[in-house]
Amino acid sequence: MNLNNITKKFGNVTALDAVSFSIDGPGCVGILGPNGAGKTTMLKILTNIVKPTIGVATLDGISVSEYPEKALARAGALVEQPEFYPYLTAREILSFVIKIKMVKDEKGEIKRLSELTSIEEYLDRKAGEFSRGMKQRLGLAVALVGDPDILILDEPTFGLDPSGMKRIRDIIKEINARRNKIIILSTHLIYEAQEVCDRIIIVNKGKIGYDLNNDSAGHLKIELEFPGSNLDFPKEMASQWKSEGNIIYVQKANGTRNSEIIEYCRKNGLEVKWVTPYNDIEGIYVSMTK
Amino acid sequence: MNEGLTKFAASTSYYFRNYYRSRSFYLMLTMSLLVSALMMYFTLRYVNSLTGFLPNLNLASISLSTKESIFGFLWSYVLIYLPVFSSVFFGSSAISSEIENRTAFHIFPLPISRSSLLISKYLAAVMVTVLVCMIYVLMQAATFLYVFHIPLISGFFYSAALLIIFIFSMTAFTFMLSSIFNKNTYAYISVFLIYFLTFTAYQFIAELLYKTTPFYLLDNAAGIIEKVYVNISLSPFNFNFSLNPVGFGEITQSVLVMAIYAIVSISVSLIIFERKEVK
Repeated sequence: MNLNNITKKFGNVTALDAVSFSIDGPGCVGILGPNGAGKTTMLKILTNIVKPTIGVATLDGISVSEYPEKALARAGALVEQPEFYPYLTAREILSFVIKIKMVKDEKGEIKRLSELTSIEEYLDRKAGEFSRGMKQRLGLAVALVGDPDILILDEPTFGLDPSGMKRIRDIIKEINARRNKIIILSTHLIYEAQEVCDRIIIVNKGKIGYDLNNDSAGHLKIELEFPGSNLDFPKEMASQWKSEGNIIYVQKANGTRNSEIIEYCRKNGLEVKWVTPYNDIEGIYVSMTK
Repeated sequence: MNEGLTKFAASTSYYFRNYYRSRSFYLMLTMSLLVSALMMYFTLRYVNSLTGFLPNLNLASISLSTKESIFGFLWSYVLIYLPVFSSVFFGSSAISSEIENRTAFHIFPLPISRSSLLISKYLAAVMVTVLVCMIYVLMQAATFLYVFHIPLISGFFYSAALLIIFIFSMTAFTFMLSSIFNKNTYAYISVFLIYFLTFTAYQFIAELLYKTTPFYLLDNAAGIIEKVYVNISLSPFNFNFSLNPVGFGEITQSVLVMAIYAIVSISVSLIIFERKEVK
């Protein structure tokens, strides 16, 4: 995925100003920024909802504005708070997207997605009767149709209650744990980006203020499936570590990548559930957006 | 079926279902039934007393088929408004609602071309409008068969075919206006203002000052749906009364006007929709 020198103007207002960045491999990239920073505009350009004034956005090497059908064939998106045609049921909406994405096993796909997003009970209800949270979950299910390689999520937890937010975050973390997708997650919640993303980009006033790879994080919090780890890390990998129940806190040695630590845990028989890198994102965010 | 056709068929059926389950559809269906019931009563009541509203008519000299033609004209005179109101309901908000109701966020990121989406929505709107109008047309056919006891005259079939062409052009026209606006209300009001106010005012001016009938206006062209029965013009400045239907030349001219409206309107809608952005 690549944004190359993107500028977007709405009349006299510059929403994005010569923004460039690329994502080369799987992982979750968080786009952080205050309201009106340009996060959503960035994702709208990537999903053909708006077209850039200058520059090119590509997905899988294909220009989104020139060849949207091809570029978006392997992408799924949840942008802003989507609305659906009110007289159609969730099942019909999913079935439509499944047909558009040419997914073969329609019944199996509806079952998989409805279970994943917990909308099984509501499948035969019309979208017009859905609450905000239900629409958000249906939107996520729509985005996940066909197990896309690129997942674009714009504030997916917006307007949800705490348990709904956790459910959506868990789904994203589960998908990211498989390490076979690019996930672009726009949010204004710092803790959400920290918890879910491998890389964080801070956008402010239409420009990228900070592009932080979480590999540069000094600390990792590793959550294991089962408690009771007595694992020791080599000194060239970690300078300090501590186990508490099913959590290991690791202070990384300079130059160690997160993936090396995760791999080391796995090789030593630990089942890693989540990894949360810690940087002083909050401090950076506040200073960038002041 | 190839990929493009599969996607097109899926979106047409998707939009069709959303239309026929809508309140607007049931409202139009009720209107269609109500108006056809009124016309049925009117036909039964006046079948033998045409002179009640056509005083110069010599009833003894006209055949059953001419009588059917006169009633066909009257049924069509009312029928013409059904596609207009249906198009206002189904077409005026077709594109503006994607922006105002935020459904664009759901459909624009899908791997289907916007032209496919628009044409499939257009076809779905045409289909529901045809459905609404066909209720009326079938009631008319049933009434005529019951009242006149003769096979339906050719005018009936011409009128039904021309009605379908008019539905295509009227729906396209409302789609074009809808594509210009991002708010449904503006789109609704514009259709009413242009069709009922601007067209009528223009026609009055053309007939009064220039002694010419603007055949190129959509509402005038639609008049052919009535005139294939009997050629009556009810315009106060250009009154015309003939119990014969219009000729082939006038039918061709009206069909061309309606076709041009449909093609131009849908082309403009496609161009605008292709460039549409949701801020």
